[in-house]
Amino acid sequence: MSFLSIRGLHKSYGATPIFRNIDCEIGKSEFVTLLGPSGCGKSTLLRCIAGLTDVNGGQILLDGQDLVPLSPQKRGIGMVFQSYALFPNMTVQQNVAFGLRMQKAVGSEMQKRVAEALALVELSDFAERYPSQLSGGQCQRVALARSLVTRPRLLLLDEPLSALDARIRKHLREQIRSIQQELGLTTVFVTHDQEEALTLSDRIFLMNAGRIVQSGDAETLYTAPVDAFAAGFIGNYNLLDADSASRLLARPVHSRVAIRPEAIQLGEAGVIDAEVRGHSLLGNVIRYRVEARGVELVVDVLNRSAADLHASGQRIGLTIDSTAIREVA
Amino acid sequence: MSRAEAKPAALYHRTVVYVLFLILLLPLAGTLLYSLSTSWSATILPDGLTFKWYLQLWSDERFLRAFGQSLLVCFGALALAVVLILPLLFVVHYHFPRLDALMNILILLPFAVPPVVSSVGLLQLYGSGPLPMIGTPWILIGSYFTIALPFMYRAITNNLQAINLRDLMDAAHLLGASTWKAAFLVVLPNLRKGLMVSLFLSFSFLFGEFVFANLLVGTRYETLQVYLNNMKNSSGHFNSALVISYFFFVLVFTWAANRLNKDKT
Repeated sequence: MSFLSIRGLHKSYGATPIFRNIDCEIGKSEFVTLLGPSGCGKSTLLRCIAGLTDVNGGQILLDGQDLVPLSPQKRGIGMVFQSYALFPNMTVQQNVAFGLRMQKAVGSEMQKRVAEALALVELSDFAERYPSQLSGGQCQRVALARSLVTRPRLLLLDEPLSALDARIRKHLREQIRSIQQELGLTTVFVTHDQEEALTLSDRIFLMNAGRIVQSGDAETLYTAPVDAFAAGFIGNYNLLDADSASRLLARPVHSRVAIRPEAIQLGEAGVIDAEVRGHSLLGNVIRYRVEARGVELVVDVLNRSAADLHASGQRIGLTIDSTAIREVA
Repeated sequence: MSRAEAKPAALYHRTVVYVLFLILLLPLAGTLLYSLSTSWSATILPDGLTFKWYLQLWSDERFLRAFGQSLLVCFGALALAVVLILPLLFVVHYHFPRLDALMNILILLPFAVPPVVSSVGLLQLYGSGPLPMIGTPWILIGSYFTIALPFMYRAITNNLQAINLRDLMDAAHLLGASTWKAAFLVVLPNLRKGLMVSLFLSFSFLFGEFVFANLLVGTRYETLQVYLNNMKNSSGHFNSALVISYFFFVLVFTWAANRLNKDKT
């Protein structure tokens, strides 16, 4: 039986529907991600789970209990915001202790748990600082400690890494994942960043325009997109319409086709003749733009040595791995 | 920029600032000297120095009463402002953000309608009828509230926008705080700075207010500025002592307020 189950959830602002008939099941200790472009309803869904936004219909069951009639204070949910939302007038210690203070915890117990939470995010030495004296990454770790200290049943993370720079983001991402696994905490993470979603999650719910388009583990989402949106959002798929695909593959194709850029091989001899149009260096990968049979394609090749580089205008052969050609709706 | 290049520019900047200070301080220094001199009419420098004008002023019962009444009216108006504006701001920014546009027009009204004009209306409205308040301090507290409103609304709004009110409230709610607790423990302490700054600004402005005080209440509840006006035919030395006392009080008050408002961190 699932730990968090959302059944037929509706939300609209006036006449504008945000999402309708959302169903999803999340198991205990699972780390799931709501992934989607901005405006797809993922943050609103998260806020509905937290109780910060009212729903228009449906059920949210946490451990068998319907959360919808409960106020946010009574749901036992911890949440981390993109803006950190630390209380500027309180020290790190007071921020983390706030939730326990509201629960009227005993002084000694409170101190012990605050110290534990700060140790968990490796910020024990910063207890007396104010949020304005911390870096963005440190602030977000304080926010994480603050939401964990009350031992919530469910942790919600609303784009917690989006305001941070790349290096810190990667580090904090790993830290969040390891803390989550250590505590076995059921976690819902919201992001628009496919890389974050793919590296962190046990399961991903891909959302678009107020509905869940596809759900599954990272591998499934990456290799088997169900439709053109999923293919376009995850990875850098080549999306071809039926006509172009028929020409390229030299066989009749009746739907759109998605081909992953790393599933195409470039070589002296190949099945399809092509011409290199240009390239850009992405670090360990070189991304070529090639044209074959009047169709422009993106091809990713591992960057082995400069000697292998194909110049613009060079004639080249393409081989496409047939298992990587996916027909999508 | 190298040090050598910085020097002439720094000298220029310093000169501008000093000259400005001099221009602003000169009349005040003249008034101070006049208030301290025994008599000063046909000579370049005063005949002699004395404290007698100050002694005379600070033992004048009418002055002390006017001073006290000014304080009372100002503090009354500011207390009313705090009690009404803080909840108003919270409601506007947390529940009805669209009302902010309306409020921005509303708070311009005290500037758009000068006191001379609005007091004519107020005299009509409150001179008789169900609320005859003309000649009482209550009408002053009411009109001073409208003067303080724009200062306070703007300063605290800036403060509110800087703290990301919605996320802070959401975070506090999820940690188990009621809306009241969240407002008092999380929002209010972060508005202290804007609140204090606007209170002191309004106070020094209201303490020197003359038009409303003179037209609506006059001698029936004499404030400091009205007293000063009524004393205009007495000795210039005495009046100078009054002006200097007034300035000194505002100065000390502002300084003390700034000291109290220093950041803890």
